[in-house]
Order: sequence, then C-alpha cells, then structure tokens
Amino acid sequence: MRSLVSAELLKLRSTRSAWIPLAAALAAAVLAVIANTSAGHAGGPPLSPAALPELLRASGGQLVDGAVLLAWIVLSAGEFRHRTSVTTFLGEPNRLRVVSAKLLSAMLTGAAVGLLAEALGAATSAAALSAHHVPLAWNHPGVLGAVVTVPLLAALFGALGVGLGLLLRNTAAAVGLALMWAFVVEGIIPALTPEPGIVRWLPEAAANAVLHGASPAAAALPAGVALTVLAGYAAVLASAGAALTARREIGTASG
Amino acid sequence: MSTIAVEALTKRYRTVTAVDDLTFELAPGRITGFAGPNGAGKSTTMRLLLGLARPDSGRATINGRPYAELRDPLRHVGALLDPNVFHPGRSGRTALRIAARPAQIPGQRVEEVLHLTGLGAAAHRRAGGYSQGMRQRLALAAALLGDPETLILDEPANGLDPDGVAWLRGLLRRLAAEGRTIFVSSHLLAELAQTADDVVVINRGQLVAAGPMADLLEHTGASSLEDFFLGATSPEVRPAPATATRARSLS
Repeated sequence: MRSLVSAELLKLRSTRSAWIPLAAALAAAVLAVIANTSAGHAGGPPLSPAALPELLRASGGQLVDGAVLLAWIVLSAGEFRHRTSVTTFLGEPNRLRVVSAKLLSAMLTGAAVGLLAEALGAATSAAALSAHHVPLAWNHPGVLGAVVTVPLLAALFGALGVGLGLLLRNTAAAVGLALMWAFVVEGIIPALTPEPGIVRWLPEAAANAVLHGASPAAAALPAGVALTVLAGYAAVLASAGAALTARREIGTASG
Repeated sequence: MSTIAVEALTKRYRTVTAVDDLTFELAPGRITGFAGPNGAGKSTTMRLLLGLARPDSGRATINGRPYAELRDPLRHVGALLDPNVFHPGRSGRTALRIAARPAQIPGQRVEEVLHLTGLGAAAHRRAGGYSQGMRQRLALAAALLGDPETLILDEPANGLDPDGVAWLRGLLRRLAAEGRTIFVSSHLLAELAQTADDVVVINRGQLVAAGPMADLLEHTGASSLEDFFLGATSPEVRPAPATATRARSLS
C-alpha cells in the first residue's frame, strides 16, 4: 500500500492542474488572515485575543477544502481522461487497492494542506495581531478545535474528490457538478422544499457548520454531527466510485 | 520459462462477439505474432489476458494464473497496449517513475529503460510533446520496467520510422534470445514475418490458424504470411470450428 500511495503522491506533485489550486489555497490562507485582521481594524468588530480561532478557521476554510476537492477530482477523473488508468491497473490489478491508495493519499493531502494552511494562518495571525497590539491567546479553547477540524475537513473533501472523480470519470463534468452543487443547488433547495431545515444536512452546509458553526439557511448541525454527515457523504461517494472502478473495463476508448 | 494460455475465451459487447471461444497456447521463449483484420479481436484478447477486461467465459492465463492473481505483475509481464497512456503534462521520466512505484522498481531501472529505448535525451520533456514514435518507445520502456519474462505488445511498431522498426525487430529478437516469451500483434505482416517464430491468426474473434510460421506456410502452400493471411481472413472464408482450432493450437 505504501508504494501505491507513493505513486499517487507523485502523480499529485507532477500534475500542475492539481497542485496549483493547492498552492493558491495556501496563498489565500495568508490573504484571508490579512483581510480579516485589516477589516477588523478598519471598521469591523475590534480585534481581540478571542479572534485567533476564527482566523485559523478562515485561513484553512472553504478555499482549502475546495482546492483539495478539485485536485483529487483532477487526479482521479484524469486517470480516465488521459488513459493513465491502463498503466495504473497494469501495475496493480487489484482495483480496490488502487482506490484505497487514492483515498488514503487524498486524505493525507487534505490533512497536510489543512495543517499547512493553519500554520501559515497562525504565523500571519501572530504578526497581524501583534501589529495591532492584541495579545496572542494560543491557549484559547477554540484554537485546538480549529487545529483539529480544519485538517479533518480538508481530508474528507479529498475523499469526496476521489469518489466524485471515479464515479463520473470526466474531469469537466465532476468539477462542474461540484461547483454547481456548492453555488447553486444548495442555495435553491430551501426554496424548493417545504422543509428548509433539510439544507443543514447537505454537504456545503455541513462543512460550514464544522468550520464556523453557522448555516445561512437554517440552524446549523452541531460540529460533530456535521463532520459525521460529511464523512457519510465521502464514504458513499468513495464506495460508489470504487464499485464502478472495480466493474468497468479499462483501456477502452472511454477509459 | 513463461507461457500464455487462452482457453475457450469469449467476450461479448452487447450483440457483438469480439472474442469467440478462442483457444491457443504460446510456446515459451519465442516470438509469437498475433494477426487478424481490424476488429478481429486482437486488442480485446490482449486486454482480457491483462485483466483489463473480463471474459464472459473461458480463461486467459500467464504462467497458469490470471494476470490479476500474479504477485508483482510488472516483474513478470510487460505490456504495451496503447502509446497514448501517459499524462501529457508529465515528463517521460516521471511517467516511468510513477509506473515503477507499485512494483518498487528503482530509479536506476527507469534510467536503463529510457536509455534502452533511446529516450534518454528526451526523458525530461513532457510526454504531450512527444511524437507518436517517441510515445511508442515510452510505452515500450514502461513494458520493460520490471525486466519481465513475458511481453505482450499491441502494434508496437505503429508510429515508428523505418530505423525504429528495425531497432524494435532487433530488440525483440534479443529479448527472445534471452528466453522471454513475446506476444506481439501487428498489421505489418511483412515485418511480423521477419520477427516472429510462431503466429496466431484470428478473424471475427475466432482462431483461424496457430503454429510455427514456417510450418504454417509449408502446410498451406502460401508464399508468404501476407498471402496466407489474405486467403485465410477473406470475407468468404469462415473461421474454423472450435474443435478444429483447439487441435491446431501451438504445442
């Protein structure tokens, strides 16, 4: 399994359309802290030691999750687009082992990028808060929560990306569906159903609940429940992608 | 010495039977040519052998086991099915390093096969910028990574220039002389006649003939492989029945 994970991580490092979004998300992590501390200083609520957990969550927030999702959609669906699936499955004919390696690599990537984003966010926060003469409160109870949830959430988005990519096997369709879901579908579902509270069980709202404990349309799920809901979505998508990958033929015109 | 065996192999795609009760066995340590018209089922047979497609019935084995059950398959079987199986944004070297990882093949072997296939100087360039011939060489390099005793090559001469074809012929000869079993499909019958010791001919998914090249020509009175092929695969000629094809398979 270690050699398969190593191969998957080498694929990530050698695919620009996968690692550039991750690098951009890390840059955005720094910019998010700068923007939040500047806004706080200029006109928003005054900066306080209690702002640190929220700054960390913002730095490792939805952009990181989105970038990890995108990277693993590109890497998983790309196997079929570029027909690299042929060499992949010749090297390891047990397809479920390959899918497991992809999931493990995606979750490792998500956790690592989430942690790195937080590290960058923490360093930037420290500099920004010090510049505003706000004492740093690393022992604030929310800091540990942010340190744990941000990488965990990004890891789950990595698994979602693998599942979606393997399920659709078409990079453009999978990326389009993910964007459509995040920006359109979850927005209109409350208007289409007599139970607007249903939206809090959807992936984007659950991710928001984990990160910020807030949902735009309804009361948020508790963070632990929201995390479990997301893990459920990841498990369902990954299982469906794995089942399809195990059954489908490799090396045909479509794959 | 490795062997490839196909037993009553059948593969259907909806109403089309791509491979129809196909049976043959390859002699180890020899080059066996695999010939047939377009759509005869050659590539499908190779994908069935390599576990990339599942048969509806029958068996395809390498050293007595299906490909999927081989331990460290890259070290036993090298396969070239299509030169366009590399990410266009990755260099040739990186593509091979990725292919080598599952079998824990060291980087030194990657450099060896790059050198062997004449890609050493272009290894740092992106595969998307390679010519068809270079991609074919890269695919061949990937097949050779594990120094396998069996090679399954689908149209390996496609896209190669005359020098490349001559180089490939020499390479296959040298590999066979080392005792490897080589199964190679080609439409270039004159080239196949120069390279292969044995030949398997199929048409419409069924076996037409299988045996040592020289015996085949002698028994049929054909003047060349092309002469035999055109006679055996013309639309008027129906493939031999399954019972007969088994009897004519290679020993």
